[in-house]
Amino acid sequence: MKRFMTICQIEFFLFLREFFGCFFTLVFPTMMLVLFGSIYGNEPFSPGEPLGMMDLSVPAYATMVIGVTGLMAFPLTLAGYKEKKIYKRFDATPVGKKTVILAQTTINLLMTLIGIAILLAAGILLYRIQILGSFLPICVSILLSTGAMFSMGFLFTAVARDAKITNLLCYLFYFVMLFLSGATIPDQLFPESVKAAASFLPMTYAVDLMQGAFAGDGLLQHGKELMVLSVLTALFILVGAACYRRKDWS
Amino acid sequence: MTQPIVQVDHLHLSYRKVKAVSDVSFSLEPGEILAVIGANGSGKTSTIECVEGLKKPESGAVRVFDLDPWQHRREVYGKMGVQLQETDYPMHLRVDEVCRLFASFYERPADWSLLLSQLDLDSKRKRPIHKLSGGEKQRLSILLALIGRPKLILLDELTTGLDPEVRQSMWSAFGQIKNSGIAILMISHYLDEVEALADRILYLEKGEQTFFGTQPQFREYAKKRISKDGTLPWNPQNENLSLEALYLQMAPKSEGLTMEGIL
Repeated sequence: MKRFMTICQIEFFLFLREFFGCFFTLVFPTMMLVLFGSIYGNEPFSPGEPLGMMDLSVPAYATMVIGVTGLMAFPLTLAGYKEKKIYKRFDATPVGKKTVILAQTTINLLMTLIGIAILLAAGILLYRIQILGSFLPICVSILLSTGAMFSMGFLFTAVARDAKITNLLCYLFYFVMLFLSGATIPDQLFPESVKAAASFLPMTYAVDLMQGAFAGDGLLQHGKELMVLSVLTALFILVGAACYRRKDWS
Repeated sequence: MTQPIVQVDHLHLSYRKVKAVSDVSFSLEPGEILAVIGANGSGKTSTIECVEGLKKPESGAVRVFDLDPWQHRREVYGKMGVQLQETDYPMHLRVDEVCRLFASFYERPADWSLLLSQLDLDSKRKRPIHKLSGGEKQRLSILLALIGRPKLILLDELTTGLDPEVRQSMWSAFGQIKNSGIAILMISHYLDEVEALADRILYLEKGEQTFFGTQPQFREYAKKRISKDGTLPWNPQNENLSLEALYLQMAPKSEGLTMEGIL
């Protein structure tokens, strides 16, 4: 356990030193919040309705944080360590790569939660956003969305031949999902054809689930999202693991 | 007779049907240095990686501390320190951090602060590893091989990239390490290094073991091969030929590089 904590601690420092991951996880979502908040404000959509634009946007930006760690920070670390044979060096110690990968997953998860916490704090302080949902559904929605995004990143590292291809896949899907899933632009504004395309993107379901959970919906109201995200998580992990079995790590 | 620390019997390994190592057998005792020599691609690294448990032998037995290193990685690595041929480190990781990290892996780690100053890396403590020079990185990789107070050390190219003075002091350091009863298995392309350090020599040619024995036996073997080939009749006045000179006369002659393409 002490070993694991030391690895986590070092991986935490390494995360903080990586400018892009750190900026997009901890700073960028709050910048989006301030930008769009200054345009739309957080007045209720119509008199009598409880929620305003920022109340709905904050859970969507939180999904964006999960997308950053799941599709940029986490898989790029994994692919980089693998390509530079750093895992092989750890395999030549009593610890081995599995423990290191576990520590990296833990730290990326932790940074996701910190990123979401900063965003929520900013939303509450600046726009007095309301969180109508209760603790459990919000936790479940965060964990499931994280599972889907992280396992998708993991799958990309498994199918790609090298770190460059992993990079490409991750960036491509990240940006497509960023704009089409409703994480940045409300999907109510999209024409039907774009909505149809968005329904093939895992992040769309994550955004819907997160917005619902924050707005006070029960989990059972989002059975479809729960189902899609859990099935995708399991599928990505299984396919990724199968690909890794046939790979040479050294 | 003490129990050998490493025992390899009839090791075979191929990559996608290309033979890398075939029928290699050797052993390593406590307090002994064994040098694996041979041309590029002769199977040295593959052989060592089987001992390290990083590659699974196709057939044959590899025992390290009387355990199978492929199956008992954790136990074996508690007592084994490794320097790999090419090692990279995570971006932005600093020298002191990698030492602290690796020290945490072992039950009874060495005092790495002391090791840093002994290897003349003290002033680089806070420096990111990717900013170190080649020689500094090499010394760091040696430090990390020693940090767990191993009983067995595996070195893939000990002094590559080091200047002559540091090489000499590295030899004397590893002489001391050996005298304390630690076993060392090393790959080297430098025959002066092998001559200075090795008790026994394993010579590989195209994945096959052509010689395993003590250094004096290797000299006899080399002389025999040279005189048999008839390329250079043995001159008794040249008894004190360096190991490198002997090796170069014995090893199969390469075609020689021609530079027609650019001349």
